[in-house]
Amino acid sequence: MKALLTTTAALACLATGALAQQITVGAANVSSYLDPGRDHSNVGSQFYYNTFDTLIGKNHDSIEADWQPALATEWTMIDPLTMELKLREGVTFQNGEDMTADDVVFSLNRMYQATFPPYQVRSKDRLANFAEAIKVDDYTVQVKVEREEPLWETLLNLQQVMIIPEDYTKALSGDPQVAEDGDFEAFSLAPVGTGPYAVSEFVPGEKVVYTRYDGFWGDKAPLEQATVIRIPETASRITALKTGEADIITNVAPDQLGLIDADANLKTEGSATALFHVMIMNVNHPALEDPRIRRALSLAIDRDTLNEALWYGKAIVPSTHTMAEMGALHQPDLVTFEYDPAEAKRLLDAAGYDGTEITFDTDPVYYTNGLLAAQAIVEMWSEVGVKGRVNTTSTWSGSSPDLMVRNWSNPMYFADPFGSFGVMWAPNGPSEGEGRFNTDAEYAEIWDRFRFSSDVEARKAAYAELMERIKDNPPVLPLYRPYESWAMRKGVNWAPKPGHIPYVLDFRAGSISLADS
Amino acid sequence: MIAYILRTLIKMCVTLFVIITLVFFATRLSGSPMETFLGEGLTAEDRELMIAYFGLDQSIWQQYLGYLRGIVEGNYGLSFLERRPVADIVAERVGPSLQLLASSVLLTVAVAIPLGVLAALYRESWVGSAIMALAFVGYAVPNFVIATFMVLVFAFMWNLLPVVGNGSWAHFIMPTIAMSGVLIAALTRFTRNAMLDVLGQDFMRTARAKGLPETVVILKHGLRNAGVTVLSVLGLQIAGLAAAGNVVVESIFSWPGIGELLVQSAITRDYPVLQFGVIAVSLAVVVINALTDIAYAVADPRIRLAKA
Repeated sequence: MKALLTTTAALACLATGALAQQITVGAANVSSYLDPGRDHSNVGSQFYYNTFDTLIGKNHDSIEADWQPALATEWTMIDPLTMELKLREGVTFQNGEDMTADDVVFSLNRMYQATFPPYQVRSKDRLANFAEAIKVDDYTVQVKVEREEPLWETLLNLQQVMIIPEDYTKALSGDPQVAEDGDFEAFSLAPVGTGPYAVSEFVPGEKVVYTRYDGFWGDKAPLEQATVIRIPETASRITALKTGEADIITNVAPDQLGLIDADANLKTEGSATALFHVMIMNVNHPALEDPRIRRALSLAIDRDTLNEALWYGKAIVPSTHTMAEMGALHQPDLVTFEYDPAEAKRLLDAAGYDGTEITFDTDPVYYTNGLLAAQAIVEMWSEVGVKGRVNTTSTWSGSSPDLMVRNWSNPMYFADPFGSFGVMWAPNGPSEGEGRFNTDAEYAEIWDRFRFSSDVEARKAAYAELMERIKDNPPVLPLYRPYESWAMRKGVNWAPKPGHIPYVLDFRAGSISLADS
Repeated sequence: MIAYILRTLIKMCVTLFVIITLVFFATRLSGSPMETFLGEGLTAEDRELMIAYFGLDQSIWQQYLGYLRGIVEGNYGLSFLERRPVADIVAERVGPSLQLLASSVLLTVAVAIPLGVLAALYRESWVGSAIMALAFVGYAVPNFVIATFMVLVFAFMWNLLPVVGNGSWAHFIMPTIAMSGVLIAALTRFTRNAMLDVLGQDFMRTARAKGLPETVVILKHGLRNAGVTVLSVLGLQIAGLAAAGNVVVESIFSWPGIGELLVQSAITRDYPVLQFGVIAVSLAVVVINALTDIAYAVADPRIRLAKA
């Protein structure tokens, strides 16, 4: 019986892809749809880079903004508001269609002039300055902006402006000549791009199968097939890695790393993700209206201790809302957030804090260590005399007027402060939209200088001014960049690359190899 | 008989209508899908846009009437998240759940009934006591403990069995045992008790007096009569399992079943999927109950006669 079971297990392993040039990834979550345009979730960002290309590429081995030709081979400004891009010739989509200026114009304008509501939403927070894309000839396009744009390359390298085929998409539903909502909805279940892997099978929420696309314009994909399956339970994911049912697994909790590293056949890779776990405070809640109370709640938190206790010191605690990935705009010497319990006590006294209970909302599982951090924070509050309580809820309370404090995350959607703080805390952005953050004309003016100044130093100075505003009247405290881990068989050479946005599963040439194949 | 069937059907429809209504309003009370779908926050304007896109800008009564109309027309709506018909999504998941349910029921019947009969026949000896002790333990241990323990031993430590999905027959072993554990324990006890009731009956003595072999007496006269009680209990338990019992097991073994789907759609507030999923499961429960009634009538001619 044992022999029989062993054989079966071995067969099961073979069937799931331990064969040469094939891998199986056990992911905590698999997307319910695959459309790079409307998606900006952490789950979704895992999946697009293998299948889709942007016009302007990036060297992902480095955190520097090292732009590379991709679907566009060169780009030049022809006037302050217009960029002209020469397209690579001979590129085909995975369905065999040629990629031409029509596809590029279609893909860009589906975002720049969005009519499909999910595109409208994604477009407004980061692409509002982009007016339109125009075809010049079959392999030349122009992109026009409203105001001079300091972030051209960055915003043409976004996941949201990856290129998709026009004819294929329009024909998916209704009139094949017109782009309808139904076309984009159908596209997200049967995505096609120009990247090195075609999505050959997609079961929403369960499984994505990538198959090498031999017509890819760039370096040949190293894997014949890569299958990502959803294994929601951490223990099951780790077991699947041990049984050989998975070759790589995602989202390994920090306390499980030792278990995996102790196994001679397995290893772990990880990095401090380009994303902040943050604590947000509702500036409009009556008990928190006085900025001194919120400053005290922030100053009372010893984030280094949280890092040591919850992340074994592997997370990164920032002094301000900044990340090394932001290149010239990285400003680690700004001190916006710090630990100073004495000052916290003084501020509470000065504000006349009356012992009102302050609730900290957290989902029980959504953020790794989210609940533990909340409990620790409430303990730290009690040391400065704040009466806090953890409120575990799986409902998003960020838009409720009753919200006091809760956890959230501020991902880096692209490598610029605009791609993180700028998206979340813009005037009329999501935080203000949910009624827990206020901006005024002065804030908007500083924000505008930060967003649009063509001079890097002017942008840095404006960002520093924004951080001063946040420091004086804080709606947010970035806790840390969580340390995210993947585990894999020893024979798999893969690691998250520093130049990507968080969570990208990059299986392109130069990003993965299998030692035993 | 026709009147009986009609009555049953009407009762079924009323039950389903009540469930549909409850589910419709309960899902909407539980929170909004906006944040879970669109990641990290929305501006006020975007919120309006998306609310309209999902058709949630209508009054709740309009939504409710629209939903009822859809059901009558056989249109159960599109998933908010996947934008494809919820019936397709649920249909994908029903198969794997039914497979697991079927294998669990088979294992339960194959193990529990012989054990229950043995426990009744040897109630005075250590055999009966041992079986009942096991059943007691089995009843007390929840399925996720059994599942996790098996995963630890048979997959993590010994690497004998696969843990992910439903790809081969080997994939069925651990989930089936995990699902069946409590069922086997319960059914063993019920079988034993039913057999004990039957063993003392006059017709058993008559059967023995006729000179029938003991196996025939036990199986044909004893078990056949005890079977009615056993069947009704089994039916109820299967219905319970179909309704909710497999969520945890499906999650541990990444089984692409309906329990997992319901949990996910509840978390993301994908109302159309959740609604249709609950309706499908309710329908399954109602049908299983009806089938139990029929099986009941087959097993016991007295019930058949009384109902006719």
